[in-house]
Amino acid sequence: MKEQHKHTKAKKYGMVIDLDKCTGCGACMAACMAENNVPFKKDESNKLDSITWMRVYKLTNGKKFPEADICYLPRPCMHCEGDHGHAPCVSVCPATATDYSHETGIVSQIYTRCFGCRYCMAACPYHARYFNWWDPVWPDGMEKYLSPNVSPRMRGVVEKCSFCFHRHQLAMNKAYTESRRELKEDEYQTSCTQACPAGAIIFGDLNNPDHAVTKIAKPDHKHGGRPINPNAFRLLERLGTNPKVYYLSSRRWVRRAGDNYIRDERGQGNH
Amino acid sequence: MKVCRRSFLSLIIGGAAGTTLSPLPLKMMDDSSIWTQMWPWTPVPEDGEVSHVDSICTLCPGGCGITVRKVATTIGDRAIKIEGMKGHPVNDGGICVLGLSGLQLLYGPTRVKTPLKRAGARGEGRWEKISWDEAIAEVVKKLGELRGKGKSHTVACISGTDSGTTAHLLGRFLTVYGSPNFIRIPSIQDSYELTMHLMQGVQASAGFDVENSDFVLSFGSGLIEGWGSPVRMIKANSMWKERGKVVQIESRLSNTAAKADKWVAINPGTEAALALSIAHVIIQKSLYSADFVNNYSSGFEEFKQIVLNEFSPDDVSEITGVSASTIESLAKSFAGASKPLAVCGRGQGETPGSLNEFIAVHALNALVGNINKKGGVCAVPDPDYIKWPEVEMDRTAANGMHKGRIDGAGSKKYPDTRYLLDRLPDAINSGEKYPIEALFVAGANPVYTIPDTKAVKEAFNRVAFVVSFSSYMDETAENADLILPNHVFLERYEDVPTPVGLQKPIIGLSKPVVKPQFNTKHLGDVILLMAKSFGGRIADAFPWDSYEACLKKTLGNKWDGLVNNGFWADSNFRPAAWEGAFNTPSGKFEFVNKGRAESIKIEGDEQAYPLILMPYDSMRLASGFIGDPPFAIKTVEDTVLKGNDIFVEVNPRSARGFREGDHAILSTPKGSVKVRVHHFDGIMPGLVALPRGLGHTAYDEYLAGKGINFNELIGPVEDPVSGLNVAWGIRAKLTRA
Amino acid sequence: MDSALIPEGVKRCSFGKFVFWLVVFGAVLLWGIVAMLLCWFKGLNQTNMNDAYGFALWIWADLAIIAIGGGAFFTGLLRYIFGKEELKNIINFAVLLGFICYASALLILAIDIGQPLRGWFIFWHANVHSMLTEVAFCLSCYFAVLTIEYIPLILENRQIDKVPFFHNLSHNMHGIMAIFAATGAFLSFFHQGSLGGVAGVLFGRPFAFREGVFIWPWTFFLFTWSAAASGPCFTILVSWIIEKIARKKLIKQNVIMLLAKIAGWMLATYTIAKIIDTWYWATVTAPAAGHNFMDFYSNNPLYGIWILVLEIVICGVIPSIILITKTGRRYSFLLISAVFLGMLGACVNRWVMVLQVMAVPVLTFESWFMYFPSWQEIATTILPVAGGIMLIMISYRYLPIFPQEREIEEEKHASIFV
Repeated sequence: MKEQHKHTKAKKYGMVIDLDKCTGCGACMAACMAENNVPFKKDESNKLDSITWMRVYKLTNGKKFPEADICYLPRPCMHCEGDHGHAPCVSVCPATATDYSHETGIVSQIYTRCFGCRYCMAACPYHARYFNWWDPVWPDGMEKYLSPNVSPRMRGVVEKCSFCFHRHQLAMNKAYTESRRELKEDEYQTSCTQACPAGAIIFGDLNNPDHAVTKIAKPDHKHGGRPINPNAFRLLERLGTNPKVYYLSSRRWVRRAGDNYIRDERGQGNH
Repeated sequence: MKVCRRSFLSLIIGGAAGTTLSPLPLKMMDDSSIWTQMWPWTPVPEDGEVSHVDSICTLCPGGCGITVRKVATTIGDRAIKIEGMKGHPVNDGGICVLGLSGLQLLYGPTRVKTPLKRAGARGEGRWEKISWDEAIAEVVKKLGELRGKGKSHTVACISGTDSGTTAHLLGRFLTVYGSPNFIRIPSIQDSYELTMHLMQGVQASAGFDVENSDFVLSFGSGLIEGWGSPVRMIKANSMWKERGKVVQIESRLSNTAAKADKWVAINPGTEAALALSIAHVIIQKSLYSADFVNNYSSGFEEFKQIVLNEFSPDDVSEITGVSASTIESLAKSFAGASKPLAVCGRGQGETPGSLNEFIAVHALNALVGNINKKGGVCAVPDPDYIKWPEVEMDRTAANGMHKGRIDGAGSKKYPDTRYLLDRLPDAINSGEKYPIEALFVAGANPVYTIPDTKAVKEAFNRVAFVVSFSSYMDETAENADLILPNHVFLERYEDVPTPVGLQKPIIGLSKPVVKPQFNTKHLGDVILLMAKSFGGRIADAFPWDSYEACLKKTLGNKWDGLVNNGFWADSNFRPAAWEGAFNTPSGKFEFVNKGRAESIKIEGDEQAYPLILMPYDSMRLASGFIGDPPFAIKTVEDTVLKGNDIFVEVNPRSARGFREGDHAILSTPKGSVKVRVHHFDGIMPGLVALPRGLGHTAYDEYLAGKGINFNELIGPVEDPVSGLNVAWGIRAKLTRA
Repeated sequence: MDSALIPEGVKRCSFGKFVFWLVVFGAVLLWGIVAMLLCWFKGLNQTNMNDAYGFALWIWADLAIIAIGGGAFFTGLLRYIFGKEELKNIINFAVLLGFICYASALLILAIDIGQPLRGWFIFWHANVHSMLTEVAFCLSCYFAVLTIEYIPLILENRQIDKVPFFHNLSHNMHGIMAIFAATGAFLSFFHQGSLGGVAGVLFGRPFAFREGVFIWPWTFFLFTWSAAASGPCFTILVSWIIEKIARKKLIKQNVIMLLAKIAGWMLATYTIAKIIDTWYWATVTAPAAGHNFMDFYSNNPLYGIWILVLEIVICGVIPSIILITKTGRRYSFLLISAVFLGMLGACVNRWVMVLQVMAVPVLTFESWFMYFPSWQEIATTILPVAGGIMLIMISYRYLPIFPQEREIEEEKHASIFV
């Protein structure tokens, strides 16, 4: 058993989001909320206290009519690898309530251990982490749709996208009962990936050369996972967060919006 | 005494020290933290065996297949997630925001839980719970009275759809009862049906083979914003990214425009002229399909003369604001593409468009010969499975049916139009024909969706007896006298014929996923019960014991397949070949050339109202008969809705001193509302855009009171040919709040 | 009424007046307690914090009061380790201030965390990589040390001292105080530093991130340094305020001068280090992440370059010059202004390293995040201030926190007599 375990190759689950295809319809956001028992409250228009593990940003190119252009950018948790698993948020958590799994590459969050110091939120440049400022309350009867696979979070703790980790667990359980150690590509997919009507989100193992994510983004593992595909980019690549979510865009201004550049700097968005 | 105090103090101090050093504090620390990990007020969802049910979503006319995940628990089956159904011909696994939020409608606080009878004044919100027997008796009594007085025609019914067995039952009931006033809610389907009728001589829906088209010329259609079957269109859009081009003609940078390969900003309301100018170039440069035009069309010469004389790119450039060179290049790329497709119908297509525009755009399809072709437009007949015996009307019914329709559809003025709901409020309020004594509303929320809310409410007040079949406490239900709540789509059987815009006829089957959660009843069963109460010819017209029995019988041998697969597709269907495809008097495709000169003028004086207000649609805002559930409203951006304030988009160039986020009063001839200003460089200067789907007064606290309903600010504008409401905007002004 | 409790040979205001002021500050304290209970029972939705401002007023208050409470460890270090004997006359007071500051910090932290009942997980499930873990351990230990340092002071109360056990205990504790002072200084060095590290390690936040040595970013050392500078400043400032209120001298001038001089040199060297750090960050660290220096100080309604000028020039360079020159120190107005600015400098620095870090947009498509605290946040921040004032009032009245007071009083009498 142990021997077998050793042979199971480490996974690095990641995502490629094609911004040319993304229509900004918001299905990924709702799919995430529905899958993960994300609560809601009367007013969700203050986006600074609205829990959206997956959030779609609207980007503009800053030009005037009719040269103006917009692009949508879905932002899940980037599941940063940082330097050898030192994601910005993971290394700062004082209570080890969030962790980087070297087996899956997923940054986890243990709600029952988190005591709500919010240091991880201060550390995350993507604003992917959300705090439960309120007790989660579902209107009478609506608790019925809550999924038993994901525990609702109590007030006072931080939560974030888990790449639907419970789906990984379920898929692994199934595989184990069938005496398999490896999952097929389509056995573990996130809720947003599955829902996206545009097929703009692709999910898989970045360590597996046969998986679509790897084929499309072509991560250069020798150089911190930087994409080789010239249309691919990662958000805030320069900070060294080493995120596992890649974006594709044929538009230069969009790629350029993925990172900061000092004035007149010719950057990676410059393909 | 002193000793006493001393020993007392010692006891306290010693006790405190002892307790501190004992394991008790640690134990308490541990226990209290464990308590926080399972606070009794944080729900723990019950687990159980998981199963899946394939069904069809009917929250919009898109007809997507869904797979609902259920878990069997001690309180019965709980539906826990709606997902897109893999392999369904419409959406193949994809799903939209609204569909994903469906369980919030099923279990949500907006449900009408039992039949209700109004107890207070209309709209006051005071209800008396009644039994189904009482409710049905109430309706039958009222209808019986009217029929007895020979006033059966004063009953009208507004329905969300006219296809499928439930709608057919409703229509059948009305007919055999004696009212001609079955009215379907308006959409571009009306315009397309009319276009098909006039140009191709068929009674059919327009189907678009978007998956196979390689050049889509869209005249303001929100291709990825809910036009047609939304998920299918978004899927097609992804295909076009790989092999196809999209040109969006629109005065605002919509998501469709932003995703298109080319966005052509056009002066609003001038789309028909642009289409004809493109036709001008195509004809002038002989880029059209000679085979189709010469052999299968009629009226081409006249059409040619008109477009060549009146719609040169130079002239049209002035009207539309689109440069002559752009027009020429559009024409060349359109005609040069192997499978070009021109579509129209603004935004999600909830408002019909001017017939001129539809005819002009469809003429482009004819010019390139892509009628009933791969990648083109097909005339899709309704799947012909509802084969019930003709109704036999008694004298009263026949008399009633003989009276003209209240909305004027099919009248001399509008002979080819089937339904004109937007004319109903005016017809009721003006009393020009006859009063409406009773109104049924099913699968529709007219109080919210019909333009000119004030007039609609006035009309409702003039109707003595309003019955709503809504599952939710929507605006119409709130203004009804009686609510007979239908099951929601996850609790009932329902056949769902061809989704809007699909190029082939299919039937989907909506199935009960969970048991009815409340004391509701299937609309089909309610109709059957009402008919039985009447007896006579009315009862005879409904020879089924239950809706389910009726459905099974109607679907016949398709039933088993439908239950197993969730849908039935006619594998033999091929669009009719050009020979015999057209049932016009000439037997050919007609370049209809009547009424072309007339253009639609929007309401309002330019001097008093310097701006033009237009609505815009978003996938995140349901603007039809369903209001946005909490998940969906949560996805709405804070530049659209903040607190209860709605934002209007204004180009910074025509913002006239209004800064980002400023409060303002938006006024149109129909009304004034408070809004906030959002600067958007993607909108043409001089326009103001307001999102549709907000401003609900009904539903729950998650939706009610947020923003403004666009329909409060606009009134209908009649198309001179069809009578349909074709108002695409209204003049407006912004003033300081 | 309570004269038996008041140290011998000193005068205190009437008991009525004392109680009156206790009640006044007690009311403020109560207001803070109400806010605190609201936060505990209703949750942190009572604050104006949000997902962009996970750290806000409270964390600033924590960092600031720990910085200015640094007088305790630094004075202790000077007194017990470097043998600056004169400082024994101010060490009691410095310890009292430190005790108050650290108690306040712990209380605020207990309100700030979303799950106070699980706060101890920071020890139980400690993550050694986290600067906050380091902070928590050092902070708690040092608070224990401060308590131990404060206890002998209580035991010196006239009535308590009469009990032989307490008298001997106090005497013995004094004997070993050097060990505690050394421990305290060590712990303090680390937690002041790790508080600096809290911001400095945030490599996702280019405004905060600094390179450094081994696991410690430059801010680690800068924070310790600035605490050593601003702590004594705060001690001097508060003792001056108390002297003004008491309308008499409590500490001899040579003690103040010595402490001021040391604070001056600390501040001067700190300021130089801070300038070098800022320069390197502005020209190397931040540009490497794609940020122009001025990006951090423009396009928002609050954070302009003024804040950097305030922190470094007005609260760094100027007070340094005053404090390191004899003339500067001699003029009471200049001295007090300088120590005030020195203290303010640390507060501004902590503000910037907490709130401006949160405010700066990092994703190019986000914009500045602005924040204003709710009354509950303000009240709970003022709560420990009111509590601290009350504790100073009580301590001053009943404990010999200023050992020179009697001497100065007698000298004054003597001079009148002469």
